[in-house]
Amino acid sequence: MQSFSYARPASLDSAIATFAEGGEGTRLLAGGTTLYDLMKLDVERPERIVDINGLAELSTIDTSGDELVFGALARMSDVAADPRLADEFPALSEALWKAASQQLRNMASLGGNLLQQTRCAYFRHGEPFACNKRSPGSGCSAIEGLNRGHALFGGSDACIATYPGDFAVALIAFDAEVDVAGPDGERTIPVSDLHRQPGDNPEAETVLMPGEIIIRIRVPADAVGRGSTYHKIRDRESYAFAVVSAAAAVRLEAGVVADARLALGGVATVPWRAREAEHSLIGTALTAETARAVGEIAFADAVTREHNAFKVELGANVVRDALLIASGRA
Amino acid sequence: MPTGPYAEIPRVDAYEKVRGRAIYGTDNNPSGVAYGAFVTATIGRGRITAMDLSEAQSIDGVRLIVNHEHTSDLQPARFIMQHGFAFQSYSPVLTPNVAYRGQPVALVVADTLESAIEAASRIRVSYEEHPFAATLDSERAEPVPQAEAATAWPIDDIVVGDAETVYADAAVKVDATYTMPTQHQNPMELIGTVAAWDGDHLTVYEGTQNAGACKFGLAEQLGIPPENVTVISPYTGGGFGQKNTMQSQQVLTAFAARELGRPVKVVVPRRQTFHDSSFRPATRQRVRLAADSAGRFTAALYDVDAQTSMHDFFQSEHADTAARHYGYGAFRSFTRLVRTDTPTPGYMRAPFEHATAFAIESAVDELAYEHGMDPVQIRLLNDTDTDIVDGLPHSSRHVSECLRRGAELFGWDRRTPEPRSMVAQNGDLIGMGVAIGLYAGSGGPNRASVRATRDGIIEISLGVHEMGQGIRTAIANVVARHLNVAPESVTAILGDTRGVPQMLTAGSWGSASSIPAAEAVCEALREALDALGTNAPEGASPAEILALADHDELSVEAATFAPGQNRDALGEIDTGHVAPSGPVYPDFITYSYAAHFVEVRVEQTTRRIRVPRVVSVFDCGRVLSPRTARSQAIGGVVWGVGGALREAGEVDPRYGGVLNADMAEYLVPVNADIGSIEVGFIDEPDPMVNRSGVKGLGEVVLVGVAPAITNAIYHATGVRARHLPVRIEDLV
Ligand SMILES: Cc1cc2nc3c(=O)[nH]c(=O)nc-3n(C[C@H](O)[C@H](O)[C@H](O)COP(=O)(O)OP(=O)(O)OC[C@H]3O[C@@H](n4cnc5c(N)ncnc54)[C@H](O)[C@@H]3O)c2cc1C
Ligand code: SF4
Repeated sequence: MQSFSYARPASLDSAIATFAEGGEGTRLLAGGTTLYDLMKLDVERPERIVDINGLAELSTIDTSGDELVFGALARMSDVAADPRLADEFPALSEALWKAASQQLRNMASLGGNLLQQTRCAYFRHGEPFACNKRSPGSGCSAIEGLNRGHALFGGSDACIATYPGDFAVALIAFDAEVDVAGPDGERTIPVSDLHRQPGDNPEAETVLMPGEIIIRIRVPADAVGRGSTYHKIRDRESYAFAVVSAAAAVRLEAGVVADARLALGGVATVPWRAREAEHSLIGTALTAETARAVGEIAFADAVTREHNAFKVELGANVVRDALLIASGRA
Repeated sequence: MPTGPYAEIPRVDAYEKVRGRAIYGTDNNPSGVAYGAFVTATIGRGRITAMDLSEAQSIDGVRLIVNHEHTSDLQPARFIMQHGFAFQSYSPVLTPNVAYRGQPVALVVADTLESAIEAASRIRVSYEEHPFAATLDSERAEPVPQAEAATAWPIDDIVVGDAETVYADAAVKVDATYTMPTQHQNPMELIGTVAAWDGDHLTVYEGTQNAGACKFGLAEQLGIPPENVTVISPYTGGGFGQKNTMQSQQVLTAFAARELGRPVKVVVPRRQTFHDSSFRPATRQRVRLAADSAGRFTAALYDVDAQTSMHDFFQSEHADTAARHYGYGAFRSFTRLVRTDTPTPGYMRAPFEHATAFAIESAVDELAYEHGMDPVQIRLLNDTDTDIVDGLPHSSRHVSECLRRGAELFGWDRRTPEPRSMVAQNGDLIGMGVAIGLYAGSGGPNRASVRATRDGIIEISLGVHEMGQGIRTAIANVVARHLNVAPESVTAILGDTRGVPQMLTAGSWGSASSIPAAEAVCEALREALDALGTNAPEGASPAEILALADHDELSVEAATFAPGQNRDALGEIDTGHVAPSGPVYPDFITYSYAAHFVEVRVEQTTRRIRVPRVVSVFDCGRVLSPRTARSQAIGGVVWGVGGALREAGEVDPRYGGVLNADMAEYLVPVNADIGSIEVGFIDEPDPMVNRSGVKGLGEVVLVGVAPAITNAIYHATGVRARHLPVRIEDLV
C-alpha cells in the first residue's frame, strides 16, 4: 500500500475545502469497506485521504417527518434497524439488512454504500486483465470472459460491469434524492441520476463533481412504501451480492394497483428502474400471472451474455415474487 | 481398564482458543522480525526476462529483495509423492521460470508489512510468454494414462472380470458423465512461516500438518543438517490438506532470515493461497453401471480424467474407492491424469472420495430410478462382505447398519419415490436423497513418549498434529482412561520436532496411527510403574504410585505400527517421510463408512435450493471423543453442502489463475445456509485394524454428502445434476 496523507476535518466546510484542494488523488473515507478493500487490491492508490467521520452532523437518521432523512454517515446497520423504516418502508430496510455482513454493515455508511464499486473480478484484480474502467482504453475482459455476474441492462461495448449495491436500487424505487455539497455550494441529485452508465468512458461512475460530498439522502415518505419489499436472490442465504434483486412497491385501491414501483439490482450497470413494467401494473388486479407478465416486461430488453442469460427467466420470477410479497403487505 | 464407549469430555484446548491463548505459527513475533511480501507472476506460463527493482528498493524500510538471481544455492523442493517433502516439485523464485499465473517471482522483505507490500507492487517484471493450458478442458491440456505415468508408487487401473462384456449384455444400465470444478480449501489460518536463526540453527513457527517434512525438507533445500532445524506447530488453524507438506514460502522465508540475520515472517495472503498452493483437481468421471433384473450390480466401468500439473503427476485414487462402494460383479477403471499449467493439485479433504462418491452414488440413484427400486434398498442389496479387488474380507464394514439407522432417524419411509411428488405447504418442492461414502482406513508407524511426575503431570509426545479436529481431546480421553487420571492433567506435545518424530497428519490416519501409540506408551508406563513394586492399590494413578515409591518422575517410550508394517517404517518417519499403510492390509481391508440422508427444498419460482435437514450416520470404529467427533461430522457435512451447492474455482482460460480468489467471491456456506444436522455413530471398534479399534473420521464425514444432495434435488425437481456445484441456473 503506498503512503498517503491523512486529514480528519472537523467541519463540512473544511472537509470540502480539503477534498477540493487535494485534487485527483484524493479520496473521502467513510466506513472504508469499499475504499480499503480496493486499496489492498491496489486498484485505488490514493495520495490523500480525507476522513469524514468527524462530521457528526452527517450521521443523523430522521424518519419522523414526511421525508425520511439519512445523513451520509449513518451506518447501514443503524438505518436497517430503524423501526419506522422497517414498518413503513420494508424495502429500504431489507435492502440494507440483506447486504454484506453484520460486521460490514456496522462500519459502512450510506454515502459510501451508494458509491461502492463493481465486483467485476477483472476490474478488482488488476494486472493482467484488460479493463476499461480501471485502465481506460485497455479493453474489457468480461465481454468475452466469465460474465455470469455482469449486466443485462445499461452496458456498452466498453463495459458491462454490474452496479452491485442493494440500497440504491431500493432508493430509486421511491424517487429518493441526495444532497451534495461542494466548492460551489449545495445541489440536489435524484439517486436515479447519480450513477452514470458506462458508455465510452466507464471510468466515470457518477455525476459528482470534484470536491463534492454527499451529505444526506432524502426519501419522500410516500404511502406506497408500506406495500414494499426488497427481494434479493443470491448464491447463498446471506453475505452475497444479488444474482438478481427487485425492489417492488404497490399501493392498492379497491383491489387494483394505483401506484407501482419496480427497480432491479444485480443485472444492470446502474440501479435500474423498470418504468414500463411499472406502468403495465397500474389499474390491474395483481395475481401470480399478471405479476409474472410484469416480470417479463421488465426483462424484455435484456442484452444477455454467455453466462448470464438465465437471469431473464430468473428475473421475471424474482419480479413476480417481489410483487406478490409487496402486495401482501399493501 | 474399562472398555466400551468413551465418555464425552469438553474440547481440552477450548479455553485456550476462545481466550486467544492458543499461539498459532505466525502469531509469533520474535524480536526484530521483518516482514515479507511476494511479487506474483501475471502470465500463464513463460520466463522472466528482466526485473526492475529500482523503484522498490527506494521504498523506506525495504531490506532485501529475493529473486532467482540470489537463490542459486538453494535446492529445489521435491514432491511428496516422489519421496520428497513438498506439495510439488516446482519451486518458484529458484529459477526464472513461470509455471502458472500467480506464482511468486520475488520476495520483498521490509521493516513493516506495508512497506513490503508497497515495494512488491513497484517491481516491474518483463516476461517471455508461452502458451499454456489453464483448465482440464483446455486444448493444450495433456492427458496421460495414469498406468503409464512415471511415479514412485505406480497405480494401475483396476480390472475385475470382464466388465465391458457384462455391461454390453446387461438389461438395466446407466451411462453418465459427472464433472466437478477445482476447489480450494480455505482454512481460517493462512499459510505462513516465521523463520528465526540462532547461529546455524533454524527455528520455524508454522501452522502445518507435517512438521517432520518441514524440518527435513528445509534442511535439504538449505543444505544444512536436519538436526539444525526445529519446527514448532502446536496448533494449526485448519489444514484440510493444504498444509500437508512444504509450501513455496518456507525455504524463501528461511533464506531471507539467514541473509538478513534477523527473523522474517511471511504470511501468504488469501488471494495468493488460491494461486500457489494445492487444491482439489477438476475431474470428469464417466460411470457405466449395469444391474440384473433383481437390482444387483453386475458391472461397473469407471473412467476418470483428473487434473494434474505439468511438473508432477498428482496420482488419482478415485478408482480405488469406487471399486469398494459395492460388491459389483465385474469392475474396470481407466484413469487419465490431465496435465495443466497450474500448481500441483493435492489432498483437499476427501481428495478423491468426494468426487468418486458424487459419480458413483449419482449413478446408483439413476439406476435405482431406471429400475424402479428404492434408493436405500438398492444400496443394501449391493453391500458386500468381501473386497472384489483383492478378495480380502473387510475388517469391519457397517455401511448397511449406517443406512438402516439413518433411514430410521431421517424418516425415509415418509418419502414418496416419484420426482416432484412431495410439495411443501408454501409450494416448495421437497426432495429426499441418500448416498453412502467411504474412506480408506489407513494407519502408520508412530513413536510415543510419556513422562509422569509425582505432582500429577502426564506429558505425552506423539507424532500427530492438532489442526482443530480435536486430536488433543481424543488423546486426553484415551490417556485419562488408561492411566486413571483426569483428562485435564494430560499435556500433549504435538506438531513439535523437539518431541518424537512428526509424521504427516492426513489421510484420516491421525487417530489410527497415534492413538495405538498413546495406548502402548501408557501400557509401558503402567508396567514401569508396576516394576517399582509399590503394591499400590488397583486403579492407583501414576502420581500416587510415584509417591509411594518416592520417585519424582518416570519416562518411557514406545512405538507402534500398522498391520503388516515393522520397525523399518520408523526409518521413514524418523527422516520426515510418510509411511502410511492400508486400506489393503495383508489379511483384510479397512474402510470407514457414512450414510447421508438429505432433505432439500427447491423454491419453484426462483429455483433456490435449501438444505433444511441432514442425517448422517458413520462407522469410524471406536469413537474416541464423542464431542469433537460430532463436531468433525457436522463440519464435514457443511463441507459437503459447500461442495454440492457453492464452491468452485473460477478460471478464465485466457488468463489462468483464479478469478474469485477471496472469501467474498469463493462461496462457502454461511450459517444461514445450514439447517439441522443430526449425527449418529455406530461406535463399534474395528477388531483388526489396530489395538484401539479406531478407523478414520475426518474425511469420510464429507464423502457422499454432495450426491445425497443432488439425488434429493432430482427427487424434488426431476432434474439430474451431473455437474457441481448446482446453482440456480442449473434448475431454471
Ligand atoms: C465482502 C463484502 C460484501 C458486500 N456485500 C454487499 C451486498 O451484499 N450488498 C451491498 O449493497 N453492498 C455490499 N457490500 C458493499 C458495502 O455495502 C460497501 O462497501 C459499503 O456500503 C461502503 O460504505 P463505506 O462507508 O464503508 O464506504 P467507503 O469505503 O468509506 O467509501 C466508498 C467510496 O465512497 C466514497 N465516499 C464515501 N462517503 C462519501 C460521501 N459522503 N460523499 C462522497 N463520497 C463518499 C469514498 O471516497 C469511496 O470512494 C459488500 C462489501 C464487502 C467488502
Ligand atoms: S466489465 Fe467493465 S469493469 Fe469489468 S472488465 Fe469490462 S470494463 Fe472492466
